[in-house]
Amino acid sequence: MSHSDTIPLHPSSQSDIDEIENLINASPATVLPARPPSPPRAQIPVSSSLPPPPPKPAPPKPQPHSFPPPLPPPSSSVPAPPPLPSSRPEIAASGFGPAPNTLTEPVWDTVKRDLSRIVSNLKLVVFPNPYREDPGKALRDWDLWGPFFFIVFLGLTLSWSASVKKSEVFAVAFGLLAAGAVILTLNVLLLGGHIIFFQSLSLLGYCLFPLDVGALICMLKDNVILKVVVVCVTLAWSSWAAYPFMSSAVNPRRKALALYPVFLMYVSVGFLIIAID
Amino acid sequence: MDDSYTGLPTSHLLGSVPAATNDANNTAKQEGDRGRGYHTLDNPPETFEEQPANNWRGVFSISSYTQYFNVDTDVVIFRLISSFNPYGGDFFSKIDANPDLYGLIWISTTLVFVLAALGNLATYLMQKHTGTSTSWSFDVGYMNVAACAVYGYAIVVPLAYYFFLQYMGSNASLIRFWCMWGYSLSIFIISSFLLLIPVEALRWLIIILAGVASASFVALNLKSYIEGNELSVAIVAAFLLQIALAVFIKVWFFA
Repeated sequence: MSHSDTIPLHPSSQSDIDEIENLINASPATVLPARPPSPPRAQIPVSSSLPPPPPKPAPPKPQPHSFPPPLPPPSSSVPAPPPLPSSRPEIAASGFGPAPNTLTEPVWDTVKRDLSRIVSNLKLVVFPNPYREDPGKALRDWDLWGPFFFIVFLGLTLSWSASVKKSEVFAVAFGLLAAGAVILTLNVLLLGGHIIFFQSLSLLGYCLFPLDVGALICMLKDNVILKVVVVCVTLAWSSWAAYPFMSSAVNPRRKALALYPVFLMYVSVGFLIIAID
Repeated sequence: MDDSYTGLPTSHLLGSVPAATNDANNTAKQEGDRGRGYHTLDNPPETFEEQPANNWRGVFSISSYTQYFNVDTDVVIFRLISSFNPYGGDFFSKIDANPDLYGLIWISTTLVFVLAALGNLATYLMQKHTGTSTSWSFDVGYMNVAACAVYGYAIVVPLAYYFFLQYMGSNASLIRFWCMWGYSLSIFIISSFLLLIPVEALRWLIIILAGVASASFVALNLKSYIEGNELSVAIVAAFLLQIALAVFIKVWFFA
């Protein structure tokens, strides 16, 4: 077994091998073979800002292991990778990168990375920015955490606002949004459009953010006129956010056919927000 | 016509998840393709040679259903407008070359939403009008009932007619039936807006007119499709079913 020649996680993926090899050349010993047993403990201080090296109680145990030799030397040059998660976001984001770093990094780092991706996707999709018109660029780094949070938050807000049948309200809202996103994507595909399934799900989820804000405002202030105004504004904002992506995905003669169901879904959610008392 | 169910037509394969294809190894190309979609060019030959052997796979592939959605905006609008005319009787000839399921799906979905939303609003207006001043309450159960009723009717009735006509020996096409029944529901969407008026007699008048218009649309088109005369019972049944749907809508949602 050659330890110097790293065993990549996905040997079929050429690019990852390249990246791993670059990492090996950049910081020689950080990329260890992905050995399942606990020895990687030694690297925990690597990617974290935590000074105390072993949060894990295991250190004495691995000694009797038959693979100790490669481990002590790496731990000396360990400080190199800390810039890793931030300097190479693609690797960390795809999770294919040096396994010990993303597997053993502190939870806060993982959460922070995901949160920053959600925020950046949100900024790209929902707020005016120069990249909006180019769908390929706009949501290149799509993820499904953001849509998940937004859909659940909207369901919860509607459920809290309702005075009766709370669980049914949540079920209707969640089902409408989740199934609606899938059906809308299938609709575009069936009309002969070109989109990527999960990217579209991600986009439709992110475009719910304005309606989330509207639902929160409506929950806090219970005045009908205010609700109507707020929902109209946020509805227009959501539709504006989703428009470029959807319309560029299909043949221009079928644009209205692809956009109408999106509009229908947002209007029905908006109506639910106004109507729930 | 219905053999096309089983085959895979020319599949310009559409954007499913960008799998790691064998030929596109460099990520740059893949990332560039994410926006454009997924133009693979070497799949069609494979599907063609698999076609006779594994026809059941077509059920799970999107490309075998795109033929039913091959319509443009102006075609859909044209069909929608011609569905408002109850006395034409020629709907089947209009859709003959290219029946679509887009109308069925989205008209019935719109009708579900409209019934649930306007039903609540109309109930509130009616209660305010008759003096029992209740405050607004939104009954989410309307959504459930609307979905079950509309989707159930729009899917099951044409299916039943298809099987019945096949049994009777005359040649029927399920997609065309679904298309026609789907477009026949469009009248109810408009009448739902009119049913907001909280005058009971006017509501009944509106729903009877809408029901008759929709039902005669269905019956006349069915009659022109089935040339034989011995199936007039089926045509009358279709007429009555549509009227029953109209009455149900009025009674449940706009009471």
